[in-house]
Order: sequence, then structure tokens, then C-alpha cells
Amino acid sequence: MPDLQALVTDFVLKLKRRKIEGSQATAKQTAELLRQVVSQQRMPYTNQASVLIDAVRAVGEQLIAANPIELAVGNIVRRVLHIIREENLSSTTAAMEGLGLTAGSDDDEGEHEDRPGLSAAAVAAAARSTLRAPSLQTLLEDIPESVVAPHPSSSGGDSEGKSKSADRSSRSKKLKHDVIEAINELIQDIDTCHELISEQAVEHIHQNEVILTLGRSRTVKEFLCAAKEKKRSFRVFVAEGAPRYQGHVLAKELVGKGIQTTVITDSAVFAMISRVNMVIVGAHAIMANGGVIAPVGINMVALAAQRHAVPFVVVAGSHKLCPLYPHNPEVLLNEFKCPSDLLDFGEFSDCMDYGSLGGSPLLHVVNPAFDYVQPKLVSLFITDTGGHNPSYMYRLIADYYSADDLVVQRKATS
Amino acid sequence: MDPNPKPNHGISAYYKTRAEHHAIISGDWLAQAQAATAAGHPLEVPPASATALSAASKPFSIIDEFNHWRRKPDLAEAVAAIMALVAGIRSSDATTMMELEIELKKASDALKSWDTTSISLSAACDLFMRYVTRTSALEYEDFHAAKLRLIERGEKFGEISLKARRTIAMLGQDFIFDGCTILVHGFSRVVLEVLKLASSNRKLFRVFCTEGRPDKTGLGLSKELAALGIPVKLLIDSAVAYAMDEVDMVLVGADGIVESGGIINMMGTYQTALIAHSMNKPVYVAAESYKFARLYPLDQKDLEPALRPVEFGVPIPSGVEIEKSARDYTPPHYLTLLFTDLGVLTPSVVSDELIQLYL
Repeated sequence: MPDLQALVTDFVLKLKRRKIEGSQATAKQTAELLRQVVSQQRMPYTNQASVLIDAVRAVGEQLIAANPIELAVGNIVRRVLHIIREENLSSTTAAMEGLGLTAGSDDDEGEHEDRPGLSAAAVAAAARSTLRAPSLQTLLEDIPESVVAPHPSSSGGDSEGKSKSADRSSRSKKLKHDVIEAINELIQDIDTCHELISEQAVEHIHQNEVILTLGRSRTVKEFLCAAKEKKRSFRVFVAEGAPRYQGHVLAKELVGKGIQTTVITDSAVFAMISRVNMVIVGAHAIMANGGVIAPVGINMVALAAQRHAVPFVVVAGSHKLCPLYPHNPEVLLNEFKCPSDLLDFGEFSDCMDYGSLGGSPLLHVVNPAFDYVQPKLVSLFITDTGGHNPSYMYRLIADYYSADDLVVQRKATS
Repeated sequence: MDPNPKPNHGISAYYKTRAEHHAIISGDWLAQAQAATAAGHPLEVPPASATALSAASKPFSIIDEFNHWRRKPDLAEAVAAIMALVAGIRSSDATTMMELEIELKKASDALKSWDTTSISLSAACDLFMRYVTRTSALEYEDFHAAKLRLIERGEKFGEISLKARRTIAMLGQDFIFDGCTILVHGFSRVVLEVLKLASSNRKLFRVFCTEGRPDKTGLGLSKELAALGIPVKLLIDSAVAYAMDEVDMVLVGADGIVESGGIINMMGTYQTALIAHSMNKPVYVAAESYKFARLYPLDQKDLEPALRPVEFGVPIPSGVEIEKSARDYTPPHYLTLLFTDLGVLTPSVVSDELIQLYL
């Protein structure tokens, strides 16, 4: 599929060159690309889910490697893999229920031969549990490996074979169709995440409150504007968010909606925090332990908020929810941006010159893009599914992702 | 005639066994045990004496079985318990599932009352009982098939336990970065596995071991680590706060994980966690999931007292009391993450898992 390969290469290049701004746009384009991959994948008669999973993994691996800092890419890849497993499971259980009446003697499925005493219900239950994360309940059980994709081709008999082939081809089309439907739903969720989050604004912002934010997050902006539309009166302190100064842009937008706004420098946050009722910020990604990867400066705001017992609320769409645990987030999940944001190149060119003083300049400029905020500093997460505690994040992750997909690598022999 | 009188009043059998393990354990022993496991014959058949006993229609002694298994240094206490219960199933004359369950319940109660202080013992017994109850619900047509399946799964538990340690090692070694300093308290086989794997993945780190009086766990552990080529430093227990500045993370095992997400571990763990928390160092716990127990201690005195003898090297004058408790409880507030075979968990996930299992 040269067309597909060209699309993938194109997207990989865009990711490498950081041409796509923002997690929402990245997530949406990743989902659309994976939908293309799924729809253009040729499906064999057996083991369809594994073929799909392999195809998505192969593309996903390239995408994640292109921009490892943009966690939304990995999140969407894992969501799609989970969708494939789930759709496969629901179609398998439906098929098994159909075949369940013939459980026992004339077994078509290969795995039934090992377990003469098990009923089809037990096998289906075991199949369901392969999808769930490992748990204490299943610790002692032995889950047969072959449950994931039943092999009707192992049956004998031509007459059965003919009726089965019609069955199989309709089933193969159905799986693809279901997966593509689910991916469409996912894309829609990504699109509407801001609306769903903004609907909750009225519950959290009350009359005459003072809210602090840093930089500019589109989610925060829509959150505040929605509260304003419901006739809440409140004031906003916007910290400018050096060195990009996106806070200035946000301040202008808020004033346009009629919200009383005050612009402060990042250094003034600690001075002003005692006058503030609540801090609301956006996030780049939410990790599995409830920690937050956010634009630089937000860790400082979180610490100031904790010091003065001000609630620290993070708003983020569910495509930002990442199943990984941050081992070393300051190093591994951070990016360094251009020094010219801080220092004007013309003025400082002699200090930073590699040609003088033995080849190593005395002046360095460090411009990290992200901060890591510990989960204990966050009071509440507001996602499109509602408001949650940081210690609840693992539940959402278990809903959206499968444990097998944490490492997205094409298996050598599948 | 009771061949196994209850152990000395007050001395916890569990901690006595651990002390024995530490005395004899060494790298070669571990290698031998693991080689034996890998060879596909995970656990020997119980000694002829036990089978002879049951053949002679003597009451089958579950305590005997348990004692036989738990003396093996590489075997977790929970595995020994389940092996004993499996032997109980094998030698039972029950003909229905209900009868078998009642017999097993009696055996499990006997084990639990024999050593009331061991948490992994009672947790493993409960887990196995739970599994037995649920298996019978799976409509096995044949009682014997069901019985065979129970025996098979129970025997596999030893492998499950070893596999669990490997999973935990894999998850835990991700958190060890180059150049880090790890403080370890107590001698947990799981923690040793984590450090071994990290070292074989060519990570450069050093370990501080607390001495672990009076069990001398630090000496045993530092010997193992030195054999692996990991730089080790021994500290006396009082030097933990002094050294905490240089430490990047604390790694401990657990004797039991309670419902609140806190842990019960060797005496000194609570103090180490308190110090680490006040200096903002992460505390990681490496433990298998079958150590989750339905306990909810609110403070140190809520635990079943587990005592063991403390030697001071000189005779203690009369009228002087000695604190002999072997373990303490660390509240979940001071723990950062738990590495278990169910994945990396925050302490709040523990009660969720327990609820799923029991309710």
C-alpha cells in the first residue's frame, strides 16, 4: 500500500519536525491515520485481531519513536489496540454463544480439547479475563493462550467448511467495521472533549471567586468562558508564562469575553497566591500515578498553592491520560527549546561563541519545555468523564488501555 | 500426641524461620534453588514419611507438611502454605466438593492458628480457599477432575510465585537510574531480585544496607550484593537519617500489605519511611500480590504481637524490659509506589483489588 506508506512517512516527518502544535491536534491526526491503517489492512480468514494488532503496532512504533515527548501519540496508539482487542472479544463471545450449544463433543475450537470438563461459559469468562489487567482473582488460574482468537479453520468437513466460510467473511468484515466505528467514536471524543469539560465549569466556579492560571491552555480558556456564560462573576489572575508569554494572549481573549483579568509575572505568583481561591491549569499529559507533565512554571504554581492550601485543579481531555509511570520525568519526558527565546542572539553572540576560549562557551542557556508536578500536589482532575482524584487515575487507565500494550513494539514472532 | 507443639510462647515462628533462612542463605544456595526450578521439577515430592503416615491412616498433619516446605530458603511462606494445603487435598477422602471445602477450611484454620503472626500465611490460605470455592462453581462434571485441577494449580503456585518475583524485578528496575543510591532495609528476596536484574542490565548504582539488628539482615544482603559486584555500604540502624541526604530512593519488601495500602515489615521500616518522607525521598515497596491481607491496623498496637529474642551481648539485669516486637506498620501516606506482579500500583489500588477478590 504505497499510499498508506506515504501517509505514514509524511506524518512521521511532521512529528519529528514538531510541526503539529498541541496534543488534541496530534491525537486526532494519529487516530485518523490509524483508521486508515485499519481500513486498508487486508484481513485473512483467521486470526484477524492479531493481524490488525500487528499492523497498528508497526505503525505505532514509528510514530512514537518520531516524537517520544508527545505522549498523546502513544496514548492513541494504545487506545486503538485496546479497541481492537475489545471488539474482537465481543464478537468472539457472541460467536461462542452461538456455538455454545454444541459444547462438549463436536468441538471445533482447538482449545476445548485441553479442557474436557470446561463449559463454553467458562472459556468465555477466561477470555474476558485476558482483557482485564492481572488481578488477585485470576492469580491461581491458568488462562489458555489460544483463547484470544478461536480457530474455526481447525474444523474438518467440507459441508461445515462452506457454511463457515460465509460466516467467516462476514465476521471479518464485521470486525473491521466495528473497529473503524469505535475509532470514529474516539475521534469524536477527542473533538468534543472541550465541550464536555466546560459543562462542568459551573459546578466548580462559584460567585465572586478569584482564579489563577499560568500560560494559555485552550481547555482552561473554554472552561472559564463557559462559566462566564452561565452568569458567574469571577476574576482571573493570569501569570504570563515566560518565555512564550502565552498568558498575554489568554488575557486578551478573556477580556474579549467580559471577564475581569489581571496579568502578573511568573515571579509574582507566590506573592499573589494568598488572594486566590483556586488554581486552574491545563496539562500536557497525565501519568498513571496521577502526576502531571505541564508547561514549565506550573510546578512552582502547584507548590505555592500547596503552601497556601489553595485547591489546584488540572483540566485535561482523556486523550492526555498516559498509562506509563514516570521513572525519571524531568529528564525523559522533557524537551529543550530554542535559547533565542530567552536571550537575544545578537547581543550575546560573543559569550556563546564556540570559536573563542578553547571551544566551550562560558554562557549556557537552558529552556526546558515541561515541568513534572507530583500527584500529591493536585487536588482534582477534571476530564471529559468527570472530576477525579489523582489516586483514581489507575481506574480510568484500566478502562481505556490493555496491560499488553504498555510496550508498543512489534513482536518478532507473533 | 501432638508432634508439633505450639512454638515457644510469644516467639513468632515466622520470624524464627526467616532468621534461619538468613543464616544459611548464600548466593550458591539461591543459584541451586533457581536451577532446580528452571529444570522443570519445581518442587520435590513430599518425603516418604508423609505419604507413609497417610497410608498408615494416621491423621494427616498439615503442620508437618507446612514445616517441611517452609524450611526451604528460596520458597516464599505463602508457597509453603499452599503446598501444605495441596497435600491436604491429595490425602483427603472427600467425595464431594462441599466435603473437600470443609476439610480444607479446617486445615487452613489449623495452619493459621499454629502461627498467628504470619500474614502471608493467612493471606495465602484465604486466597487458596477463595480459589477453591470459585473453582467448584465452574461446573466441573467430575469431582475427580476438579480435585486434580486444584492440585495442579496449587503445585503451580510455586512457579507463579517465582514468576511474580521476575515480573516485579522487571517493573522495579525501570525506576533505578544510573548513578542512583538506594537504601534497603531488611532482606527481601524480591528486592534482591530487583537489584540483581538492574545490575545485569548494566545499571550503575550503589546500595546502602541498614544493619537490621537483631536479625543481621544487612550483613546477609550486603554479602549477596557484593558477590554481584554492586557497591554496598553498611549503616547501623541509627545512621539512616544521617545518610538519607545522599539517598535517591528507599526500597523495601513487605511481610504483608494491608487493606489501607500500608505495609507490615521488619522493625525499622516505619522509621525509615518517616525519615524518607520528611526529606522528600520516594519509598518503593516490592511485594507479591498474594501478600495483600484483609487487615486494617490503625496504629502499631493493632497488629498481632510477633516477638523474637534480642541479644544485647551482656546479661540484662532483672527489672529491665526489652521491646521484642519483630515488625511495625507503615501507613500508606509514607509510601510512594508498590511494585507487584499485578503491575506498579499506588497504595490506594490495594483495597480495590481486595474488594474485587472478596466481595
